Amino acid sequence: MRHGRAFWLFVGPFAAGLLVFVYVPIGWSLVLSFFDARNTVTPTEFVGLRNYVDMLTDGPFLSSLGTFSVFAAFVVPLTFVLALALALLVNQISFMQAFFRSVFFLPTACSYVVASLVWKLSIFNGLRSGLANTVLGWFGADPVAWTVSTSPPWYWLVLVTLRLWLQLGFYMILFIAGLQRIPVVLYEAAALDGARSWQAFRFVTLPQLRTTSVAVLLLLLIGAYQAFDEFYNVLGTDRGYPPFARPPLIYLYYTALGSGGQDFGHGSAGAVILTLLIVGVTLLQGRAVRR
Amino acid sequence: MISRRRLLSLACASVLLAACGSNTGRGGNGQALKQWYHAYGEPGVRQAVERYAKAYTKTQVSVQWNPGDYDSKLATSLLSDGGPDVFESTPQISSVRAGQLVPLDDVFGDARSDFSDSILATHTVDGKIYGVPQAVDMQMLFYRKSFFSQAGVQPPSTVDELIDVSRRLTAGSVKGLFAGNDGGGGVLGGPALWSTGLDYVRDHQVGFDDPLAATAIGKLRELYTSGSLLLGAVKDWAEPDAFTQGLVAMQWTGLWAVPAVAKALGDDFGVLPFPSLGAGGSASVPVGAFGAMVNAKSKRIDEAKDFVRWLWIEKTDYQEDFNLGYGFHIPPRKSISERASKLTSGAAADAVKFVRDNAKASNPPDWTSVMRTAFNDAVSRVVRDGAPADAELRAAADVARDELKRLYG
Amino acid sequence: MKALRYLALSVAAVLFLVPFYLVVRNGLVSESEISATSWTFLPSSVRWENFAELFSDPAVPLVRSMLNSLVVAVLQTAGQLLLCSMAGYGLARIPYRYANVVFYFVVATLMIPAAVTFVPSFVVVSTLGWVSDLRGLVIPGLFSGFTAFLFRQYFLNFPRELEEAARIDGLGHWRTFWRVVVPNSRGFFAALGVIAFVTSWNQFLWPLVIAQDQDSWTVQVALSTFLTAQSINVHELFLAAAVSVTPLVIVFVAMQRYLVKGVTETGIKG
Repeated sequence: MRHGRAFWLFVGPFAAGLLVFVYVPIGWSLVLSFFDARNTVTPTEFVGLRNYVDMLTDGPFLSSLGTFSVFAAFVVPLTFVLALALALLVNQISFMQAFFRSVFFLPTACSYVVASLVWKLSIFNGLRSGLANTVLGWFGADPVAWTVSTSPPWYWLVLVTLRLWLQLGFYMILFIAGLQRIPVVLYEAAALDGARSWQAFRFVTLPQLRTTSVAVLLLLLIGAYQAFDEFYNVLGTDRGYPPFARPPLIYLYYTALGSGGQDFGHGSAGAVILTLLIVGVTLLQGRAVRR
Repeated sequence: MISRRRLLSLACASVLLAACGSNTGRGGNGQALKQWYHAYGEPGVRQAVERYAKAYTKTQVSVQWNPGDYDSKLATSLLSDGGPDVFESTPQISSVRAGQLVPLDDVFGDARSDFSDSILATHTVDGKIYGVPQAVDMQMLFYRKSFFSQAGVQPPSTVDELIDVSRRLTAGSVKGLFAGNDGGGGVLGGPALWSTGLDYVRDHQVGFDDPLAATAIGKLRELYTSGSLLLGAVKDWAEPDAFTQGLVAMQWTGLWAVPAVAKALGDDFGVLPFPSLGAGGSASVPVGAFGAMVNAKSKRIDEAKDFVRWLWIEKTDYQEDFNLGYGFHIPPRKSISERASKLTSGAAADAVKFVRDNAKASNPPDWTSVMRTAFNDAVSRVVRDGAPADAELRAAADVARDELKRLYG
Repeated sequence: MKALRYLALSVAAVLFLVPFYLVVRNGLVSESEISATSWTFLPSSVRWENFAELFSDPAVPLVRSMLNSLVVAVLQTAGQLLLCSMAGYGLARIPYRYANVVFYFVVATLMIPAAVTFVPSFVVVSTLGWVSDLRGLVIPGLFSGFTAFLFRQYFLNFPRELEEAARIDGLGHWRTFWRVVVPNSRGFFAALGVIAFVTSWNQFLWPLVIAQDQDSWTVQVALSTFLTAQSINVHELFLAAAVSVTPLVIVFVAMQRYLVKGVTETGIKG
């Protein structure tokens, strides 16, 4: 009994908050997802699974999952490879190591909003005098309307490079930490066996980084799944958002809170679907790692 | 005995709670009426409306300025209890049906006949008026006279001429036309419809379910692919910067920009309506007026109405200042617009003429945001992605038809 | 080989630093130079008076929004550390019949990123009347299952001898925690605290949804509003961005050690 009181003294405030701000919202939205809840959070019209059917047959929601897939297909492997490369480079040098590590890590201090500002209005604006277009100009190429053009969809270059700049340093740090946990004796043994440096990388570094790599991949995937900030700030305008390049959270934002009225029924159904998807992926990943 | 550390932790917790309890969002004073404006781009407007509010003696009024996506924000706040008491917008039939707006017919009194009928009509739903028009805004095409004469071209009078002229004025670092960073899909969709004689909605029916609409929107696609549009400018179409900096020969923007353009370019510019596509169509300018409206969820509807009556009916000097003191707008009241000397010469006078001859309602009450979003998305897909215009517009028409059915039965 | 390495790193470093330079450069030039017909790396003239212009422009609530961000970040960091460390300690160290059940409820939330459930959270927070309110900005972010989980893992490995010594001195759980455990865990608290602060300062979606009145904007919402609407002078926008990043750059330089530790702690366990 005494333990019970002490336990709740420590855990109670947190548990209560978790209940109110995590479990109640999820439960409530589960309820809302079965109702026609336009412009109200206390709906009366039960519609069964209709919101789910709408979402899963509705082009925009499915295409938002497609947008996420395209985005993840670029961002995840690129970040993984480049962050690993930076980590290896930084880890191998001794002079100015701290300096380089800090420089690559520094963009983490920036918000997506600030990065979007630089990318949209300075580097990738459509003017001939934009930085990217100036560089193109050196090679005699015509200026490109980076954030406007949909064929070819240059905005992907804008969005992907932006995210790379912001997150590479973070993942580089994770890889460096992983690299430093590899026992030096393994490399010494490999050298004794006459392994070349790439062989050491292939047969020592990579296997030893397995845990880090799996964690990094999952984090990258979840990060891409939640992409919102840079899409909203680079492509959004004061008159709304263009009808393409809408990742899931952008789509939900405009469904549930956009100018088309607050549709909490569909918005909640979408949130439930996204939650189930991510829980599924996490469980699958957990099983894969355990194996 | 309470240890020091425990004391510290308790203090932390109480600071946290106290800070959380203090309400920062509501301006501290529960007594003030809340009035919302969207962010006008012209310098001085914000200070002006704050000055008006301060001059009101019966109740305290706090002005909130809302930069950004004002329509969404307003839509959200009208559903909650924390919304404004008084705000500016254009009434939509969907908001009226949802009971969000207070009818203001009794606010007008004798002044009703002083308001332009066509403007009042855009604030009227089912015979009741829901907004007191504040200022009439219109959009039009600005063109640089010297660029035209250098290139030896005439101001365009048809859509095809516009495309041709835009192409011929594109040279070096100068582009032919700037109509928004989305390539014109956002602001030119309506004018393109009107150029063929079609409209958004007509007699509670979808007005653009017609092969001609596909032709019209196809012209915007042609313009977009002509390579003569400025895309990705640092500031968007509502600001005249691209035009005044000489990055383009023509820009689609609004009457409000006339003072800034005149300051930068002197006489070296002219204005035009959006041209007609040909037979059956006509040149057009989108015209709309934000009106002062009262939130039906307000707990102080009568006070809010009194304030609206005071500012937008009685205080004609403020109304004149608001319309003409900063950017240019056309006063919605005949008695004020008649003596508005700033609107009698140059581009402003042309604009007034366009409003008289070519006006189309940019935000009619039965064109709701759901329909607008569907239409704009369709236009955007056609213009930017080259999606087939007929299929896209048919899909948008289906959405609009469902919505009209929901609203009118 | 070594030279090549340094060359590659140097090129990358320049690329990483250019955006920082652009924020400052564009903040200190005249409006027309940002969209001038040709781009130059160095501005033609540096206008320090832009600072005065920015801070005196009534249209830009920079000071107010930075203050909001600061208050939110400080409260959120302090509150999260307090609540989550206590919960983590209770879960790790206090034997209780239902501790496992509670722990499963905490772990279950780890699979659901908060951003994905912003719609349901908005429904609850707006029902509480916390829209455009400091409470709505701060409180929902305090209950991080992930932080509580990290604290639990950390306290599981906390040397028992220290606690037992305190126990012998007659201290209960509560006083043991505050007098022995917390003071000996400063590094861990600092690491998670820095991460929480940076995350809070830079978060965007939740403040965008909740901070609807201008008075409650955080600095990210303010910058975003002007960026998407482009309704202020662009050079002011850049300068405001530069000012908004400065506190974090200082945190980064001053707390680098804890930050790296925090990243490795929070990242790997993810």
